[in-house]
Amino acid sequence: MSDLSQTLALSASGMQAQSARLRHVSENIANADTPGYQRKLVSFQGMVEDGRRTGQVEAGPVKLDRTTLTRIYDPSHPLADATGHYDGSNVDLVIEIADAREAQRSYEANLRMFDQARQMQSSLIELLRR
Amino acid sequence: MFDRLEIFQKAQAMAFHAGARQSAIARNIANADTPGYRPADVKPFAEAWRDVNNDFAPRQTRASHFLAGGTGTMVAEVVAAPTEGASAPNGNGVSLESEMVKSAEVRHQHDMALAIYGSALGILRAGLGRSR
Repeated sequence: MSDLSQTLALSASGMQAQSARLRHVSENIANADTPGYQRKLVSFQGMVEDGRRTGQVEAGPVKLDRTTLTRIYDPSHPLADATGHYDGSNVDLVIEIADAREAQRSYEANLRMFDQARQMQSSLIELLRR
Repeated sequence: MFDRLEIFQKAQAMAFHAGARQSAIARNIANADTPGYRPADVKPFAEAWRDVNNDFAPRQTRASHFLAGGTGTMVAEVVAAPTEGASAPNGNGVSLESEMVKSAEVRHQHDMALAIYGSALGILRAGLGRSR
């Protein structure tokens, strides 16, 4: 029975990690036109408790993508330098949308596992009622 | 004869094994994007049962005979699954599709174990003369 309770915690940690990932994706998309914005990357890592791996996952520290920012030509922009260019952001919308899709797919898979474990637990308890 | 009904022990062990396998599958899916993660699985139920209980032990017909065999307990051993498909560039080896298929099998195994337990309980109750 404790295995099934552990399952609920594992799936819940997966869902939290995927929604954190989705949050960073939407931050990137919202700031796609902000001058000088570097897109945020987050990678997952296994949670460690008392030196042992619990099996749960968490979103690791946020890193900034160091690829070069796009140079946009617009002499009328307040930030334009002598040549008329200014730094945009390094967000590629196609990559962000694909990342969001994958985050959603993983989130749904975790949710399905959570639901199945919950149903298995309740059918065990149902056995007592008969 | 009634102190050790094997059908109940087996059904209970099967449900326990299904719960342990569900836990391993949930762990794999939660870590589907973790770099360098290898998926884990549990040994199949038939193998695990045979490891703990010697099914070929002679049956005990009198309580005074010494029975050398398992006690009907179940141990679900988690092993790292061999890498069957290609792993992702970040070293992750989890395939969401095969995990989903495994979880459907687990559901079926758990439901069957509980159905067996329930019907055996019903037979006992009928023997006692109670209708439900």
